[in-house]
Amino acid sequence: MRQPPKQRIAEDAIKAWRLSALLYLLIPVALTIGAFILTYVIEFLPPWVWILLLALTIIDLVVSPFILPKLRWRRWRYEVLDDEIYIQHGILIVTQTLIPMIRVQHVDTKQGPILANYKLATLTISTAATIHEIPALTEQEASNMRDLISELARVEQEDV
Amino acid sequence: MSKLHPLAILFNIFKSVRSIMYGLLPIIVLAIGDGFFKYLFLAIGAILVITIVIGVLTWLRFTYEVTDDELHIKQGILVRKDRYISKNRIQSIDLTQGIFHRPFGLTRVDIETAGSDKDVDASLSAVHLSEGRRVKNELKGLVETGETKTEAEKQYPKRTITNRSLFIAGATSGSIGIIIGLFGLLFSQLENMIPDYVYEVGAEWLLAQAIITLVVLAIFIVVFLWLLGILGTFIKYGSFQITRFDDELLITRGLLEKKQMTIPLKRIQAVGIEEGLTRQPFGLATVYVVIAGGEIGKTADQHTLLFPILKKRDISAFLGEILPEYNHIPDEFHRPPKRAIPYYIVRSITLPVLAVIGSYLFIPLLWVYIAIFAGAMFILGYFCYRDAGYTIKGRQLMVQMRRFSKETLIIPHNRVQSVDFKKHFLHRKQGLAQAKVSILSKLAGRHLWVKELEQHHVKRISDWI
Repeated sequence: MRQPPKQRIAEDAIKAWRLSALLYLLIPVALTIGAFILTYVIEFLPPWVWILLLALTIIDLVVSPFILPKLRWRRWRYEVLDDEIYIQHGILIVTQTLIPMIRVQHVDTKQGPILANYKLATLTISTAATIHEIPALTEQEASNMRDLISELARVEQEDV
Repeated sequence: MSKLHPLAILFNIFKSVRSIMYGLLPIIVLAIGDGFFKYLFLAIGAILVITIVIGVLTWLRFTYEVTDDELHIKQGILVRKDRYISKNRIQSIDLTQGIFHRPFGLTRVDIETAGSDKDVDASLSAVHLSEGRRVKNELKGLVETGETKTEAEKQYPKRTITNRSLFIAGATSGSIGIIIGLFGLLFSQLENMIPDYVYEVGAEWLLAQAIITLVVLAIFIVVFLWLLGILGTFIKYGSFQITRFDDELLITRGLLEKKQMTIPLKRIQAVGIEEGLTRQPFGLATVYVVIAGGEIGKTADQHTLLFPILKKRDISAFLGEILPEYNHIPDEFHRPPKRAIPYYIVRSITLPVLAVIGSYLFIPLLWVYIAIFAGAMFILGYFCYRDAGYTIKGRQLMVQMRRFSKETLIIPHNRVQSVDFKKHFLHRKQGLAQAKVSILSKLAGRHLWVKELEQHHVKRISDWI
């Protein structure tokens, strides 16, 4: 396979991913508390259920906010060349994607509240058949990229 | 401005009556029990009259006109709609002659524009065939002058199907295999699901028959289904003909409903060759094109057949004549290396093996059948490996793969929407990687996988893009 692309996404991505992972942790925490209540207040469940859930929650607490974001950030690379966009991501399964520039139909930037908090934005690249995302670029970078890609893609749009 | 043929009124009425029927049926069924016949007939009569009036009005108000650079359609009874479709936005014009059209020499004209927005497309439900042809030619910017046209037409390459090939196509269509498989599955299910007493009575009856009767019955059913498949093929693809014009293909087909389809070359995304399980042993295949946009939901088939059946060795000649742009069928493909075999086999037998274990534990009677199925999947997995591959020739990428049927796709460079390369940690250790090529099809996109290639081959594909 090719050399990986050159550019990395913003380092603040780790913080943003960590924050959203912590927010998602509320779900297993709520489940564990629910199981605890069902076990001891209503005496509906055997105790091993909430202990198992607690163990899973603790593993999740370590892995998804503190280990995964760093690994994911380290793998995430992208590069915009004159005639193609080159993206790499994935922790266990590494995916490299090539999008020919003339196939790009439109480029969007989008930003949720978590990304906005860190002044980051996600870039979405759509072809007629596929959609690709570059997450967590700095706002400046994202809008530059969007303008650059739409400039490059405008050159000689064929049919379809 | 011209009007549709008056028979369009009837077509409209039939269509609305049919859709109303579905809504009314439950009410009718309820009413029959309660003796409300009188009111029911009154209501049906009223609805019929209203439908007829609406049908006539719709016809009266529907006019169309072809002007210099666009098609203009006016329609609507209360809300008037004016639609202008500019000529160069039109992707294709299809003429369809249904069984009710044919006795009157009529045809339906479907005009398709780019994009999947249904509202933009237009349809003339019934016009005279000559008028339909005129509209079509005018919209395509051809001026009809009888003689020159027929003369010109003769020079274009053309292929017609013979009855013999049609018969072979029907006989090997494989739908029968699926039906038999379903029967087998159903039967093995029934064995366990049916309550005991039904089973006993049934078994008694079956046992009372001589074995020969049963065998004859089974053979009869199989042959009947098989003949049905052949008949279906004749109806759908009877008098199939494909003609290559300068920048489009014209396909006419159908025994009862005659269909005329144009495929502009620039809408073709890829050409595929499919060798079905029942056809491959005889060296037979079908050729199809993958087309972008339009027609969503109109036809169930995902791809459009260029020819219902061909001998594999004749395909090159066929494409050379009809679609020379795609006539590079290679002999050699770059295949995955031997160490990829376990991946293919594991992928195809994981589910069946789980099913065998499950059935062994819970429905012990069945596990032998499922084990046989798992064995078949094991063999299929090996063939998936054997038939996977790619090759690059100039500006075209050729991908070969098998799910059940073996498929070969020819994809021009400028039709590739994006490419993905994936490898997980086992791949990395073994120097393997998989490639996914995405192209545009009627259903938004089609993704073609070539799995477990050598990494330098994957790099070759990525350099080619």
